[in-house]
Parts: sequence; C-alpha cells; structure tokens
Amino acid sequence: MKPAAFKYFRASTTEEALQHLEAHPGSKVLAGGQSLVPLMNFRLSRPEVLVDINGVDELNRLSVEGGEVRIGALVRHQQLAESVDVARAVPVLSTAAQHIGHWAIRNRGTIGGSVAHADPASELPAALVALNGSVVLRSAAGERRLPADEFFQGFFNTALQDGDLIVELRIPVSKSRFGFSEVVRRPGDFALVGAYIERAGSSGAVTWFGLSGRPERLPVDAWPQGESDRRALLERLVGALPVDESEDYKRAMAVNVAERAYHQAEGEK
Amino acid sequence: MAEVLRPQMMGARVSRLEDPRLLSGQARFLDDIQVPGMLEVAFVRSPHAAAKILSVDVEAARHLPGVYAVMTHQECPVMLWNKESYKVGQPALADGEVAFVGQPVVAVIAENRYIAEDAAELIRVEYQAITPVLDMRDAIQEKPRRVHEHAENVFFKKSRQTPGFDEAFAAASHHLTASFRTNRQTAVTMEPRGTAAMLDAASGRLTVYASTQSPHRMREDICNLLDIPEHLVRIIVPEVGGGFGMKAACYPEDVVVAQAALRYRKPVKWISDRLESLESDVHARDDIHDVEVAFDDDGKIIAIKDHLMADGGAYPAYPWSGAEGETGLAARVLTGPYDIPYLATDIDCTYSNKTPLGSYRGVWGPIASFIQEGLVDRVARHLNLDPADVRRRNMIRKEQFPYRNAARMIYDEGSYLESMEEALKLIGYEDFRKRQAVLRQQGRYVGVGISVFVEPTAMASSEAGEVGYESCTIRIEPSGRVTAAFGLGPSGQGHETTMAQLLADQLGVPLADIVVLHGDTDSAPYGGGTGGSRSGPIGGGAALVAGRQMRERLIKYAAHLLEAGEDDIELGDGKAWVAGVPDRSLTIRTIAQTAYMDVSKIPEGLPIGLEITGRYLPKRPVTFSNGTHIAEVEVDVHTGVVKVTRYAVANDCGRVINPTIVEGQIHGGVAQGIGAAVLEALRYDEDGQLVTTSLLDYLLPESTDVPRIDVHHIETPSEGEGGIKGMAEGSLIAAPAAVACAISDALAPFGGMVDTLPVTPDMVLKMVQDR
Ligand SMILES: Cc1cc2nc3c(=O)[nH]c(=O)nc-3n(C[C@H](O)[C@H](O)[C@H](O)COP(=O)(O)OP(=O)(O)OC[C@H]3O[C@@H](n4cnc5c(N)ncnc54)[C@H](O)[C@@H]3O)c2cc1C
Repeated sequence: MKPAAFKYFRASTTEEALQHLEAHPGSKVLAGGQSLVPLMNFRLSRPEVLVDINGVDELNRLSVEGGEVRIGALVRHQQLAESVDVARAVPVLSTAAQHIGHWAIRNRGTIGGSVAHADPASELPAALVALNGSVVLRSAAGERRLPADEFFQGFFNTALQDGDLIVELRIPVSKSRFGFSEVVRRPGDFALVGAYIERAGSSGAVTWFGLSGRPERLPVDAWPQGESDRRALLERLVGALPVDESEDYKRAMAVNVAERAYHQAEGEK
Repeated sequence: MAEVLRPQMMGARVSRLEDPRLLSGQARFLDDIQVPGMLEVAFVRSPHAAAKILSVDVEAARHLPGVYAVMTHQECPVMLWNKESYKVGQPALADGEVAFVGQPVVAVIAENRYIAEDAAELIRVEYQAITPVLDMRDAIQEKPRRVHEHAENVFFKKSRQTPGFDEAFAAASHHLTASFRTNRQTAVTMEPRGTAAMLDAASGRLTVYASTQSPHRMREDICNLLDIPEHLVRIIVPEVGGGFGMKAACYPEDVVVAQAALRYRKPVKWISDRLESLESDVHARDDIHDVEVAFDDDGKIIAIKDHLMADGGAYPAYPWSGAEGETGLAARVLTGPYDIPYLATDIDCTYSNKTPLGSYRGVWGPIASFIQEGLVDRVARHLNLDPADVRRRNMIRKEQFPYRNAARMIYDEGSYLESMEEALKLIGYEDFRKRQAVLRQQGRYVGVGISVFVEPTAMASSEAGEVGYESCTIRIEPSGRVTAAFGLGPSGQGHETTMAQLLADQLGVPLADIVVLHGDTDSAPYGGGTGGSRSGPIGGGAALVAGRQMRERLIKYAAHLLEAGEDDIELGDGKAWVAGVPDRSLTIRTIAQTAYMDVSKIPEGLPIGLEITGRYLPKRPVTFSNGTHIAEVEVDVHTGVVKVTRYAVANDCGRVINPTIVEGQIHGGVAQGIGAAVLEALRYDEDGQLVTTSLLDYLLPESTDVPRIDVHHIETPSEGEGGIKGMAEGSLIAAPAAVACAISDALAPFGGMVDTLPVTPDMVLKMVQDR
C-alpha cells in the first residue's frame, strides 16, 4: 500500500497551478487527499505528477454575493458545514455538508475534490445538481462555467479535462424549500441512497444520489398531497432511472429517503 | 491474630500503568523498530482463488535498483504443518499452486517498502485458474471438486451424542428446526501483523521481533519450521496493538522474514497493510448450524440436535485450525447455561478456496450463543411465553454445581440465574415491555435481547497452545524494587497493571516499586502466552504462587533480622514489622541488601539473593465465567438500519482483580459484538475474489454505534488461585446473540426471527416484507 513514484509540485497561486498542469499532461491536482491518496496507495491511481493546491489561498474563499453562494475549490467540508452565511442562504447545503464523513475527514476534504472525484454516493455533487449549481473551471485556455447537470457524466466521471482546475462552485440562492435525507449504516458513511427534495410552491424536483452512476434530478410538476400518491409518483420516477438490477434494496430505499426529505423540506425556513 | 486492615490492591480500581505511554504516543510498536541497514519485504500474493502456477519470472524485479533479493518457495522451502497432522499444509511461499486470494507467492526484499512494492509489480506469475470451491455445503459433498487432490474436503469430522438421545428427542411434545449462519469475519487489530528479524553477528543468535500473543510458542514455531535450536533464537514482542486471537498464529510471513534474515544475514522487516490484513490474517466465524430442538409444553428444552459445519479455508491455520476450534468447542458448550439433558452433534469442517480460518476472540462462543439463545427465543415465541421466563425454566440452578452438561463438560459454580435477574433489573425489563407496546402503536420497533452466557476460561489447551500452566519469575533487586517476568503476551489487556496488583499484595510493596516484564523469551520464564482468557486466572495464579513463595522468604528474613517469630511478621508499604510493635521494623530494601550484599546474615537454609520462579497449573482443566447481556435496539423498518440504544451487562468472572480493566474488556467485546451482529462480513464473489478489501467495505463498529453500557459485577470465586476466572471473551461471546435476539424481538410483529449474522438492512427489509 505504497504509491508508485511521482513528482510533486506545490503551487501558491492559481496561475502557478495551471502552469504545472499545462506543463505536465496527465498530472493530478492534490487537494485534501482524502480520496486521491488512498487510491494512489492502492496503486489504482498512478499520476506521474501531483500539483498540490493546498497553498493556494485564493481558492479558499467562501461568500454569498449577488444572489449566489460562491465556494472556492479549496474550501473544506467542515468550513462549509460551519458557515453561518451558508446556513442562512442555503440551509440544506449546511445540513448535507455535516453528513460528509467524520470531522477529521471534513477538516481535510475539499469541495473541489469532492466534485472532481464524483463519487455517485457523495453528498456535495448531488447538492450541486439539486440546487442548480454550476462548476467554474479554469485551464491555460481560460475560464468556463458548466451547469452541474452537464458536469457530472457518470460513475466517477465528469467533464473535467486534462489541464482543468476547478476553481469555484456557484449555487443560486433560491426561494424553493429543500429537504435532505440519506440512509447510512453508520453515521459518517457514504450514503447507500440519498435524496434532495425541492418544493417550489406545488412543484419542485427530486434529486437522488447513490442510486445510479451520477446524481439524477427529476422535475416534479405537482407534488401530490397524500403520502401514498407521493410514494407512487416517486416509485414511478425511480423506475425510470438506470438502477442496477440487483439493487432491490436501493430502489426500495429511494422512495423512503425521498419521502423523508420531503418532510424535511416542509420544515425548512 | 486480628487481621490488619490494609488497602488491598486486588479488586482496586487502579489506573492502568500502561496508559501514560500509550496515550502520549511513546509506546513502541513493531513498525517503530528501526535498525541501520534494515530491509523491507513486500509480498506478491495470489490474485486467484485457485490456480496452478505455470511459471514465475522474477528477473526484472531482481534487477530493479534497491532490490536486495527475491524469494520464492525455492529460497524458503518451508511447510506449515507436517503431513502427519493434516494431509495438507501451507507452504510459506506457494509451491506450484495457489488456493486462496492473498496467499503469499513471492517475497521481495528491498531497501524500503516503496521499492519492494515497485519490484513486486514487475514479477510475472503465470497462472492457470481452476474452479474455486466456495460453498460450504457443496464442499462437504466434494463439489465442485476437492480443494486438495489428495485430501478429502472434510478434514475434521466428529459425532457425539448423549446416551438415550433418540428416545428423548422423539418423545418430546414439540419440535422446531432452524438453520443458523454466521458470516466470515476477521479481528482487524488496529496495529496490523508484522515481523522483523536479524542475526546478532557476535553471538550468531537470531532475534525475531514479533507482534504475537505467544512469545514462546512463536519461538518454538520458528525453531521447528526453520530447524534452528531454541537457545539460538530470541523472540521480542514490542507493544502489541491488538491481537484478539488473530495474533496467536504463526504465519507464512513470519517464517519468510526469519528465513530472509538468516539467509541474507541482514535485518529484515515486514509490516502488513490493511489490504493484506483483510485477506491474509486468519478469518473466523464461517459456520452453518442446522439445528433441531425438542421441548415440552412448558418450554423446558429436552434435546438439541446440531449439524455443525465450518469452512476452514484453504489450509488449516498454523498451529491451530479455527474451524476445528469453533465447532469442536461449540459442540461441547452448545447448551450454554441451560440444563438441557440431551445433545447430539455432528461436525464437518471443510477446506475451501478462502483464507484459512483461525481464532478470533470468543472463537466458538459467539456462534454457540447465537444458536443457544436463538433456540430459547424460538421456543418462547412458539409457546407464546416470555423469553425471560423460558430462560428461568431452563437455567442450571445453584444446587446443581458442579454441573455436568450433556457433552460431559463440568461447570464449576456460577451465578447464572442471578446474573440474568440482575441484568433484567439494569435494563428495566418490565418497564421496557410497556414502552415497547406503546412505541409499536406509533410504528416504532424496539426490542430487547437476552443473552445468558457461559465462558470456559483458563483451559488446559486453547489457541494459546497446550501449555496449561503459567510462570512468574520474581526478582527483588538489591534496592528492594521488584521485577516480575511472565511468559504472557499482552496486546492491550493491562497485564502490567493486574499482575503488579497481585504481587503488591503478596510482597507488601507499593505498586510503583514493581515492574512487570513480558514478551522477551530471553528474560521471561517459559509460558503459554495470552489466549483463551487464560492470563488472568493462570498468569495471575502464577503471580500469586510466586508472590507467596517470595513473601515466605521475606518473612523468614524479617523474623531472623528482627528476632521475632515468623507468625508475628507483617509486610506492607515496603516494610516488614513485628505485629503490634510497628517500631520493630525494617524495609524490604534492607532485606534485599542483606540477601545480596551482607550474605553472612542470611538466615540458615535460605539461598543467596531474592529470586524465585513460581508456576501455576490449575487443578481444573477449565473454569467457567458467566453473565448476562441485554441489548435494546431500535429497528428502522423503512431503511432496515438497526441501532443499539441501551445495553446492560451482569458479569461474573470470580474475584475481580481490577474492575476498571474488566469493564474495559466488556466494553470492547460488546463493540465487537455489535460489529458481528449488524456490520462485519467478509464477502467473496463467485470467482472467489474477496470483495471487502478495505474498511470502506468491511464495516467496523464506530464509537457512535456503541451505546453506554451498564455493568454490574457478581463475584462467584473459582476454586483456583485467588478465586480468579478468565473474562476476556465472554463479552464477545454474549453480545452478538443479545443484539440478534433484540432484533428478532423488535420485529416480532412481522413474525420472522434472525438466523444469519450480520443482520444487514436488506435482510431486515425482507423480514418486514415477508409478513
Ligand atoms: C473515511 C472517509 C469517509 C468519507 N466519507 C464521505 C462521505 O460520507 N461523503 C462524501 O461525499 N465524501 C466522503 N469522503 C470523501 C471526502 O469527502 C473527500 O474529501 C472528497 O471526496 C475528495 O476531496 P479531497 O479534497 O480530499 O480531494 P483529493 O483526494 O485531493 O482529490 C480527489 C480527486 O479530485 C481531484 N481534484 C481535487 N481538487 C481539484 C480541483 N480543484 N480541480 C480539479 N481536480 C481536483 C484530484 O486530482 C483527485 O482526482 C470520505 C473520505 C474518507 C477517507
């Protein structure tokens, strides 16, 4: 469980990081290391060059401005969970952040890393999709902004290209009410299945994660008032998702967590 | 003479002497051993469950800069187990075939572990895969094939039944059948396994640092397997970060490291990583029991019939097969604390293409308790009786001790019924039933599970080997300070504290004046090591025997030097004095000075110096601890997730040496029991690949999974030295059953009962939907 040999650069500005990424095709960004380092130790990932961005202070900003929450790529999960501004602007994001791993993990893990890693069972990528957020990428060629729905493409698969650095996530402050719920076997685990529910008046959406290869946001034109109708609707929606045949448990759970999230959303704000 | 009241160390809540170094990060574990020029080992392990090895090409690896040597079976032609014991033995490095994923095939020895792993990747092993044998029931039928061509799959078979069983079974008015399954687990010590070995150039002796529970046993194994005489080998056991029976074995890696040090005359170290731990530490608990129970209208159980099966893995673990241990003892203690007169057992242990089964804390017990308590609950539910009442009706009573069970095991005295009543009080059983009914109305499902256990301890033979005694060498130095050496192999139990407590009382010296030594075969007297809950009763017994002998000698000195009768001498606080005349006293230091420096004053008939080795062999081949665990759980019937919410324990391990340490043992065992009940399982896929290869997949209990645990102590002394009984396994023997029974109780409205461990969320949902 030792990584294969690699070269290591430590950047102190975004520009410097981009230069290294440009100069070394196939290089990887090292952020919190909570996902990358285990993979390297298993030798499942063997980058020849690591570009450490932990010294890039400008990536560590968190603000709510212009109707948007702007979260720098290097913001740690724990910062997100503790931010009063975030709790006020998008409460469900604070709630979700508190469900990521344990304190020690949250102290290291970054939101950029979580989004780049794109584990289908992780909370933040799904939050980004549920909240209609977007990902700001920068490369030597310039900056571009991708809606979350386009960014996440499948199982651990994103629109990130060689040389791209995630610099920021942006989440619009919305009038909708949101709810979050997940099933874990132990507190702090990756979700077996999780759901975000949006209630915008009588309509809204459900976003599931842990169910298929990527977070899936499905719009709902009108939320049924009765529980059994709502469950029937949710069941229909799950049925349309590409869930593995063998995942009976997850399918059954999907409806239950969505239902719980629905009630959560009722309580929000 | 009136007994003088003096603070007794035995029974006191003494803080562990080990803790300051452990908590401040000063303890030295195996991986802290650094010697100039030390080489490190990485193993190439089998990626196949079963395959012939067609070729091994190590050339590229050998030429990688920094690589010192590459070893295959040729360089280390050692077999674990000689052919007489079993028909099969595991070669230290694979010889022409592999039989489980993770089996060591080639060892790379390099300047450091990074290079060793780089080189390991360059080794080309050509395999021809063969159909793996993975299903226990099939394997017993020799299907799909034999694991080892020349040996039947069933390597241990034993049948036993109480005379008159068939008639009694047939005559009973009720019968139930059930099949119980426990899934593979492993101990997952916080510190993984590891070994370092080096030759002492001056003496030519081999020093082996080993993370083991049995220093002398390890020396014997290394000597026998590598054919070196014992006096040329020294085993040193540094701090051990958990053993749980898993470190009682001698592993292929231990042999390879020692062989490498001998062959290349270099210091060599290997430390396991977590992946290696999960695939190559001995596994445990891979058992199926097909059971029938016969009982009368009142819930009195008359007879149990059990077909015990265990999947022993590819080879018998060395030097102790866990499959044999799990089934062999389960068959003898299957009736637990209950007076069940008839028992019939058939055992089949089979080979498979999985990791060898060895010992894990509790060995047979967690499985047997799961079955025994599961049966009692089934009887209760069948007759619509209260589970506590059915237990009361069947419990062995005080007047029956010493009790001979249906498998002819003799139980010494315990507090079976008392412990259950005590635990029921702690959990508030009557009140709970009311709460349960109310919560059910609200759609919440809570349950309690009662697990009354017996724990055979201090056995003449166990996974710690066949050494039934323990030794203690006490040396009082000229300063009056004491060292006491044991052959034990603690891995966190606190022996340095408990043994010192026992000695302090005997020698009349403060705890701070005693240092307990262990884990070095050059200084420790021969002993069996730690395993099978033997260190407290047998090691403690040795401390008491040696301590008493030393005490007698100190008294002789004091009587002589103070010119008083031996009967009038008292010891305490580092001094000896004449009873009732505290002024006529001298210090232990003065006695020690006399014994070493002023030898003309030594009383007649006494030897020079203060050094004694005492040994203790219990008269009984086993002493039984007992107790009751009660778990309260809440089952979320929508997600299938189980939460253990409350927990009570009434524990009887005879005279308690240190309640804090006993409680610590219980807390740890309960945590592991919760893991066994709802989380931990090693899973193989249909190709025999282990799929739980990290702690992301092999789920251990975390602090948030373990509730507060109320512990009540009952003391029914054993007949052995000090009245001590062992206690390190009882908590893990009892806990899985307590949690499993609690889940069954919570889900009673749905009709099902737990028959498989761990109980996973999807299993719970099935139980809920199967209504
Ligand atoms: C025990 C444990 C439990 C966990 N539990 C959870 C959980 O419950 N939920 C959850 O969501 N996560 C969980 N995680 C994962 C954790 O959230 C990680 O921190 C996260 O997935 C990755 O973030 P990181 O900063 O550590 O990224 P790293 O490990 O440093 O990098 C991960 C990947 O992202 C890339 N990357 C990182 N930053 C950037 C960037 N700015 N631009 C481009 N690429 C980038 C890296 O190159 C790498 O490929 C857990 C981790 C552990 C170890």
